[in-house]
Amino acid sequence: MSKQKARATNAQLTGLYKPEAVKDVAESLNITGLSDAIASALASDVEYRIHQVVEEAGRFMRHARRTTITTSDIDQALRVLNIEPLYGHFPHNPPTFRRAPPFPQAPSVGTVYFVEDEEIDFDRVIREEKITMPKGVNWTAHWLAVEGVQPLIPENPPAIPRDIEGEPSGIKREPSTARPGGLFPPTPPSSDRPSPMQGAKKQQQPLVKQVLSRELQLYYTRLTSSLLPPSSDDTKRNAALASLRNDAGLQALLPYLVRWVGEGVVNALKGGVQTDNDGRVLGVLLDVIGAILDNPTLFVEPYLHQLLPPILSTLLHSTLPPTYATYLRTTASQILSRVLRQHSTTYPSLSPRIMKTLLLALISPGKSKGTREGAIRGLMGVGKEAVRKGLVEGGGAKVVGSECMPGEQSPVVDSVIAALKVLHPPSSHPLPLNTYADTDQPLITQLQETLGEFFAEQLLFDRDWAAGILSGSSEPS
Amino acid sequence: MSAITPAASTPGPEAASPATASQDANASASSIDRQILEYLRARGHKAAEQALLESLEQGGTPDENKAGPSSTISTDDLVKKLAIITQKSTKPGDSSLKDASTVLSEMVAIGNSVNIQNLVSSIGNVGAEDILSLDPGDKQEGYRELEAWVEGSLDMYRPEFRPILFPIFVHFYLDLIQHGFKDAALKFFADYSASLAPAHSATLHHLSTLHLPTHVQNDELAQRFRNEKYTIRMSRSGFSLLIGWLNEGIGGESLGSGVGFAGEKGKRGRGAIMRVVNNHLKFDVTSAPGTSVSAESWEESSGLLSSLIPQTAGSTTYDPMAFNAAKGQLKLGPAPVPEDLQHETERVVREQSMVDRDPGAQYDLHYARPVPPPGVVLPSQSDLLPHPPSFRTVDVKREVEKIRDARKRIRLDPSALSTANLSAAHGAAARSRAIPSICAYTLHDVGEGAPCVTFSQDTSLMAAGFSESYVRLWSLKGEKLKGLRSDFQTSSITGAKSLRKIREKGGSTTRKLIGHSGPVYSVAFDPVGGSAVPPKYLLSCSADATTRLWSLDTMTNVAVYRGHQNPVWDVQWSPMGVYFATASRDRTARLWSTDRASALRIYAGHLSDVDCVRFHPNSLYLATGSSDWTARLWDVQRGSCVRVFIGHQNIVSTMAFSPDGKYLATAGEDLAINIWDIGSGRRVKKMTGHTASIYSLAWSAESSVLVSGGADWTVRCWDAKSSGGPASKSNQNGMIVNGYGGEENGITKEHDELPSIETSDLLATFPTKRTPIVNVQFTPRNLCLVAGPYLSPEQR
Repeated sequence: MSKQKARATNAQLTGLYKPEAVKDVAESLNITGLSDAIASALASDVEYRIHQVVEEAGRFMRHARRTTITTSDIDQALRVLNIEPLYGHFPHNPPTFRRAPPFPQAPSVGTVYFVEDEEIDFDRVIREEKITMPKGVNWTAHWLAVEGVQPLIPENPPAIPRDIEGEPSGIKREPSTARPGGLFPPTPPSSDRPSPMQGAKKQQQPLVKQVLSRELQLYYTRLTSSLLPPSSDDTKRNAALASLRNDAGLQALLPYLVRWVGEGVVNALKGGVQTDNDGRVLGVLLDVIGAILDNPTLFVEPYLHQLLPPILSTLLHSTLPPTYATYLRTTASQILSRVLRQHSTTYPSLSPRIMKTLLLALISPGKSKGTREGAIRGLMGVGKEAVRKGLVEGGGAKVVGSECMPGEQSPVVDSVIAALKVLHPPSSHPLPLNTYADTDQPLITQLQETLGEFFAEQLLFDRDWAAGILSGSSEPS
Repeated sequence: MSAITPAASTPGPEAASPATASQDANASASSIDRQILEYLRARGHKAAEQALLESLEQGGTPDENKAGPSSTISTDDLVKKLAIITQKSTKPGDSSLKDASTVLSEMVAIGNSVNIQNLVSSIGNVGAEDILSLDPGDKQEGYRELEAWVEGSLDMYRPEFRPILFPIFVHFYLDLIQHGFKDAALKFFADYSASLAPAHSATLHHLSTLHLPTHVQNDELAQRFRNEKYTIRMSRSGFSLLIGWLNEGIGGESLGSGVGFAGEKGKRGRGAIMRVVNNHLKFDVTSAPGTSVSAESWEESSGLLSSLIPQTAGSTTYDPMAFNAAKGQLKLGPAPVPEDLQHETERVVREQSMVDRDPGAQYDLHYARPVPPPGVVLPSQSDLLPHPPSFRTVDVKREVEKIRDARKRIRLDPSALSTANLSAAHGAAARSRAIPSICAYTLHDVGEGAPCVTFSQDTSLMAAGFSESYVRLWSLKGEKLKGLRSDFQTSSITGAKSLRKIREKGGSTTRKLIGHSGPVYSVAFDPVGGSAVPPKYLLSCSADATTRLWSLDTMTNVAVYRGHQNPVWDVQWSPMGVYFATASRDRTARLWSTDRASALRIYAGHLSDVDCVRFHPNSLYLATGSSDWTARLWDVQRGSCVRVFIGHQNIVSTMAFSPDGKYLATAGEDLAINIWDIGSGRRVKKMTGHTASIYSLAWSAESSVLVSGGADWTVRCWDAKSSGGPASKSNQNGMIVNGYGGEENGITKEHDELPSIETSDLLATFPTKRTPIVNVQFTPRNLCLVAGPYLSPEQR
């Protein structure tokens, strides 16, 4: 307001209404030769009258509880001043004034404002113009303050507008009932995930950043510290895992937990040589993933793409600590199978993607035995069909077999055998294949073709098993 | 109170009125001749004649470089010189007032020649004073000197001297305009208005629109400056310093300044100031030392006061305090409740507590007879506006509900907040006890604006008046608002049942009341039902100069009250219903009864629009806020003004009485909220913090918290009981801005950036999203309701 005033007083010095304008008007009325003195006196008077009207209109503006004068205010002012109102100006559709740059021939005139004369194309108007009825006035109610605290709801403005973009604003945006403790990173920008709770008010979601409450922050710190080996014993860890498995209300923590797991796995696997400690960490992390998947109150689906890499990394990593390798791979494959079981229906592309990864790890040349073993265990986790596809049809067994020394006993071989057992259970009373019998010859050839020399050897002792694997029938004959 | 007497070194004629001067000038030549002869015979001034002639031949003294009016240059110059000579010839130290005739005769006596005679006759109808004040350079020079003197004065006097600048500036400007020196006036305005702008922007802006002598003559404000004395409060020592400076050109300033202004030019500039001081200023000289005149008391005691204060017959007071004191004591206690109604109420409360088996309810009786606040005079039944002698069921219901409200009320006590450590756990508890919960009702898709919104006391209804000339009613409880059908026979109605039958079918939760032909500026629900039953009537006032009464049973307009000649700005029910008051642009407030078509009382006296009107809770008094920057308190029955509240520096836009009846809060366009002690008429404190117009004020039921809403899209809570004053620490008022602790860095930083205008009694600020708060209201149980129209950003 004071700004307006200042502008007004500044303009005052030169005079808003120029004597030239008076002369122009006079000429338009066929009065020529108006003297300068008269023109300037008239201009002063016109200006005074205009100010009078504006001052009066200001009262109407004030009482209408507005801060801009509208044409209706001027209209009312003219009315009470007993002047004929100006017709044709409606407050509904305020004219937009355009500014013309100063005219070079007459710089003294200054900038000129004019109402743009809009050209209306009737054809277009008739064809396109839609008359929209304005909605009637309606009202909404919301809490502006509850017991002296302004709730952070979309109806209220954000607390400190200038800090919205600021990174550490998370603290300030908390209600003051929770004193900010440690600095907690705001929700990662990548996770604008639709959670069931937020799905309801999806439009409002971008307006309000989700911020972890103090309690959750505390929970998170305690949880992560009690899970990791250096500072934890088994009871503590089990309690933490149990809490993770069963407690409700952890949805807000999920992105952080997923990220924490991911980073933990990457850290554990990063160093080339694995220690037993790394193995323990990996085991715990797998347990955490398992617990997250177990928790019925958590909505994990949006985070699967972040959860899978740690699982698959553990499963397919070439050099896991030897004492833990089998355990880790087995656990990982079990988790994988659980993920698939729970989510492949809602997430149809999940199992093909995993299959592809596993098959690549199994078949493509140059992979270590550890990776192969992991892939086989993974396939076992995915299911029997996957094992068949990988080992038998995809020639996985042949590849693994060609890499093994004859008579070798290694985890890979064990895993292949285990996988084959999944494919078809070995018979309780194995009847060896007769290498020399004509009847068995085609079977042996087929066995060698599909599984390779190495594993064909291993299956020779059980005729039914071998036949079952080859035929694909699961029922022992 | 003392009037200034012109001192010796200033020319005498300034005291002469032009009328007498011209009279004398027109006197016949023969009488002048006779006078001259007589004078010469008496004194024999040969030397003076000689000196005059010499100086006439010299020509070109520095003063004459200024351009005079073009047509009469020679004569004017002559007169100017004459004036100087007159001055010289006057003996220094002569303090007697010279009237025009002696001056003229003296002048004539000095120059006893034909051309002097011609000169005297040519003076014509132009007074000597006018000629002396014609030179625009004097004003510039004089004002510049005065400003330099004020700014150069000792620190202790400076705040005292500053207020002098404004009236002198105004009169100089008006003088220049009146004598047709438009360019000089504009230049003067441009040069010197900047330093006055912060405190007087509204007045300055108005003055800047005056350009022609006729404007000055017709403009109201200019005429007030011309005809009234501008009162300035000063300490005795400051006043004598000012006199000294005006006389001698020195005094009061610190060393070094003031040198170089001496001389003829400076003297004439001071002369011009002296003229204004003599003619238009009035000094209220206090015996108190200068330092005790605070900025606040300056607001209350300077300005064009004489017409703002209602004049009692004969005596003229310039001091609002004196006027308020003269009006005696007021009866500010709560209105008495008739004994039989009180008994009935207590009986009902007792019965209900039996029925409800509510053990707490038996304490309700304690609320039935509230103890009046100490130190107030209780009005008697006969002092109240006449009401029907017997009470009705609705009265009992209202009183019973009042008791229940008093029990269930959320108690707000901000005093706990000042002592509580906010970071501690109980800080939050203290805050919840100090600051009310606020529920905001936002109107959407409002076309041209909603000038007013109000809630019924039982919060079942909300009404809004719109610029589009209609009133809209909403049921906040989601009930359907049904009027009566228009096609029924009055004879067919026998009871409540048949009445229900003629109700409209269907209906919705909102209802449009159409009748006005101009923007609706205020709406008010009748208070008879209190918070117990929904209101039966609604009043609305509009720019079409009418007030309308709407029945909420039939949903129709049942009465129109005409009488005001101009838009009606505000309407308010008396606390007991039946009567209501309106405020209008025609500078009056009026009292009406719903059953009369014409006004019962007219409260006239404001110098400009009456912008708002409020009833005292006991209905004995009526407060009006006006565009003449004052608020007044009227005796409702007698129609006389009993208090005047001067101190706002702009229009008073809204007011609120505290429920205990002792205080009045007023808010103005100067963005300040003042709290006045009604009994003494003194300002208790001034609270600032809003950054745009304040539209509405409301007190909590205990009179402890004041809530305000305004055009800056905020709702602010104020501690009405604390002493206030400017915030000592910047983060103290950031205490709970937006509900966050002030100790957090972000907030203190924000406050350090801009100089804080917030006083320390601002408890909390709650911003809204682009919603100017048009109405703020407390429910009887201390829940705060605010309402305003949402302004969508694309709307200009």
